[in-house]
Amino acid sequence: MKTNFLHAYQQAPWRTQLQWIGIFLLILVIIAAIAGVYLSVSERAATTGRQIQSLEEEINLLVIENNDLASQLASIKSIKNMQARVEDLDMVQLDPQQALYLEIPGYIPKEAAVLAPPARSQSREAPVLLPEFTASLWDWFLSKLSQPQISNEVQP
Amino acid sequence: MKDQAWSRFIIVAVIASLVGSAIGIQMIRIQNIPAAAEILAQSENYRGFIETIYPERGNIYDAEGNLLAGNEAVFEVGLDLVSVAQPETIAAVASSVLGLDYAKVLASAQMSPGNGNPYYVVLDGFATKEEIAELEKIKQEYEDRKVGRNETKPTLKGLIWTAQNKRSYPEGDLASNIIGFYSFLDKTEGKGYFGVEEAYNDLLAGTPKQFFKNYDPVEIPTTETVPPGASLVLTIDRDIQAMTENVLSEAINWSGAEAGTILVYNPEDGSVLAMATTPRLDPNEYWKYGEIFPNPTPYNRAISKSYEPGSVFKVLTMAAALDAGAVTPETVFHDTGSIMVGGTTITNWNYGAWGDQDMTGCMRHSLNVCLSWIAMQLGADRFYTYLKNFGLDRNTGIDLGGEVHFPLKVPGDNQWYEVDLATNSFGQGISLTPIQMVMAIGSVANEGKMMAPHVVKSMIIDGRQYEVNPVIVGTPLKAETATTLTSMLVTSLEEESSVALVEGYTVAGKTGTAEIPTEFGYTSSVTNTSFVGWGPAEDPKFLVYIWLEKPTISIWGSEVAAPVFSDVVKNLVVLMDIPPDNIRLQSASTTNGE
Repeated sequence: MKTNFLHAYQQAPWRTQLQWIGIFLLILVIIAAIAGVYLSVSERAATTGRQIQSLEEEINLLVIENNDLASQLASIKSIKNMQARVEDLDMVQLDPQQALYLEIPGYIPKEAAVLAPPARSQSREAPVLLPEFTASLWDWFLSKLSQPQISNEVQP
Repeated sequence: MKDQAWSRFIIVAVIASLVGSAIGIQMIRIQNIPAAAEILAQSENYRGFIETIYPERGNIYDAEGNLLAGNEAVFEVGLDLVSVAQPETIAAVASSVLGLDYAKVLASAQMSPGNGNPYYVVLDGFATKEEIAELEKIKQEYEDRKVGRNETKPTLKGLIWTAQNKRSYPEGDLASNIIGFYSFLDKTEGKGYFGVEEAYNDLLAGTPKQFFKNYDPVEIPTTETVPPGASLVLTIDRDIQAMTENVLSEAINWSGAEAGTILVYNPEDGSVLAMATTPRLDPNEYWKYGEIFPNPTPYNRAISKSYEPGSVFKVLTMAAALDAGAVTPETVFHDTGSIMVGGTTITNWNYGAWGDQDMTGCMRHSLNVCLSWIAMQLGADRFYTYLKNFGLDRNTGIDLGGEVHFPLKVPGDNQWYEVDLATNSFGQGISLTPIQMVMAIGSVANEGKMMAPHVVKSMIIDGRQYEVNPVIVGTPLKAETATTLTSMLVTSLEEESSVALVEGYTVAGKTGTAEIPTEFGYTSSVTNTSFVGWGPAEDPKFLVYIWLEKPTISIWGSEVAAPVFSDVVKNLVVLMDIPPDNIRLQSASTTNGE
C-alpha cells in the first residue's frame, strides 16, 4: 500500500531531469544577467572615466592656451610695440614741459590693479546646481516636514 | 561497482584537495618571502604610474595690471617608441620642421623599447605653435593621401606632442633687473634667479603634487587639480619704469658714464615705483647672463652694488645734527677752507674758503669742512647712532633677490679712525647701496618716518588678492627736523639755480660727487655722480635717486646727475598726475576756505 502510494506520487524521471535542466538554465540566465549588468556598468564607468580624463586634458590645454593668449596680448600691448605703432602713425612724444595740467571733473586717475576679489571679501560663490536638482525625494520630504505650516486664514 | 566509483571519487577529491592546498600554501609563502615587497612594488608598475604635476608659475603684473611675466604655450615633441611605424618618415619630417638632426632622430626612432631602452624619447622640449601647426598639417596630409596598391602610406605614428607652459616676459628687458628670470629650460629643477623671481620663488612656483594614475579605465580618476603658484602685483609702474630706463639710457649716452641707476620711490609708503639700472638682460634669453654680466657686474646695481655716495650723504649728516640739536638752520659756521681732524686736513671740493655760512649755505655750497665740523659738534657716538637708526648698517630687506650691504665702520672697530667721522660726514669712507640711501633719505621726505622699501604691492593666492601693508622701519627723525631740512634743501637748490629744478614744482635735493677709492688712493679725475631729490616739497609723492658712474663729460654731480633728475621729474609729474604748485595750492586754499 505504502509502496503504491509513493510510486503514485513519485515524479517521472524525465520530469526530474527537466526540472534540473530548468534550474540550471535559470541559474545560467541569472549569472548571465548579473554578468551583463556588471559589464554594462563597467563599460559605462570606463567610458565616464575616459571622458573625465579627456575633459581634464582639455581643461589643462585651455589653461595653457589662456595663459598663452594673455602673454600674446601683453606682448602686443608691450611698451616697445606700442612705441613702434605710435612711430608708425607719425606721432611724436610730447615734451612734458609743454603739457598743460587741467582739472577735469569726473576724471578717474590711475587705479591700483584689482585682479582678484580681496582676501577679506565675504561674498559666497553661488552653487552651480540648485538644491532642487540635487535633493533626493527623501530630502525633499524631510524638508517639507520641517517647514513651518503657513495658515491662509486671516487672523482677527 | 559502487565501491569502485566511490574510491575513484575519493582519489580525485584528495588530488584536487592536495593541488588546491599546494596552491594556497604557495600563495601564502610567496606573500611572505623576502622578495615579496619587491614583487608587490613591481606589480604597482603594471597597475598604473605616479605622475608629478607641476603647477603653472604665478604671473607678475605691474601696479596697473600689465603682465610683466607670464606663461606661453610650447610643445614637447617626443617619440612613443612602441608606436613608431616609420622611423625614416619621422626623422625626415622632424628634421625639416623642427630643424633637428636627421641621423639623431632616426637613431632614436629605430630604438626598440624595453630591455634598458626608454619607451619615450624627447626630441624637442620647446617646439613652437607654428612648428606644431606644420606637423599637424603634414600628419593630416599623410592620413588623407591615397596611395596605390604597392605603395606604402607615409605615417607619423609614434611622433607625439604635448602642450606645456613656458615662462615668458612680454616686455622683454623692461624692468628685468627687478623681475629677475626663471630658468625655464630646466623643466624639473628650474628656479628663479635675482629680483622678484628669486625672492618669491617658492610662492610663484606653487607646490608640485604627485598623483597615481591607474591604467584600469574602470577606476574613475579623482579630479587632479593643482592650484597655480601665487601671482604678484608689483608697485612698479610700467610707464614710469620705461620712462626712467629711457632717461637713463640717454643720460649714459650723453654723459659717457660707465653705468647708471635711477630709483623712483614713494617715501609715504616705501613702494618702489621704478628702478632702472644698466646693463639689462632680456629674461626670455636668460642664458646670455654670463655674456651681459661678466664678473663682477651686479644684476641690479641699485641693491647689489655699494659705493661711496659723496655729498648726497650730507643730507643725513645735516638731518642727524638738526634732529639732535647740535646745530640749527641759523647756526653760522666760519669756513676757513680746511679743518684738521684726527691728524688729517679736510678741505672743500674746490679747496676754497667760503667764510661765514649758515647751515643752508653749507648744504648749498656742499662744504666738506662745514659738514666735518657739524659731525664733530654732533659727536661720534650720536653720529653713528643716527646712521644705524637710518639702517645703514644692514640690508634694507627689500623683497628682491641679491641685496648686499657693506659693513658700517663705527668707533671701536679696528678699521675706524677719528678722521672717519669727518670723511663719513660728507659721504666718503662709507659705502652704501642706492636703496640704502633711498630708504634713509626717504625719512626726511616723510616727516621722519622711514618706510621699508618694497616692490610687491599685493599677492593673488588661491583666487584672492592679499595687499602687502607698508612697514615703518623706524622713526629716526622728528617730523619738525624733516620739514626743516626739506625747506633748507628747497632753498639751497633755488638759490643755486640748479639745473635740477623743475618749472612749476618745488623740489628739495642735493648733488653728490664722490671720488672713487682705488688701491692707490682716491681718484679725482673719475667720479661717481649722484643726485637725490624729492617733491612736491610740501607733500612729497616721489623721491628720485640718480647715480651715474664715471661720467666722462664732467666729473661733477651738479652738471651730470642734476639735469637727469630734472628730466625724470618733468616726466614723472605727468605720469603721476601731480598738479603744479599753483594749482595744488589753489585747490588746497579753496578746500580750506570751504
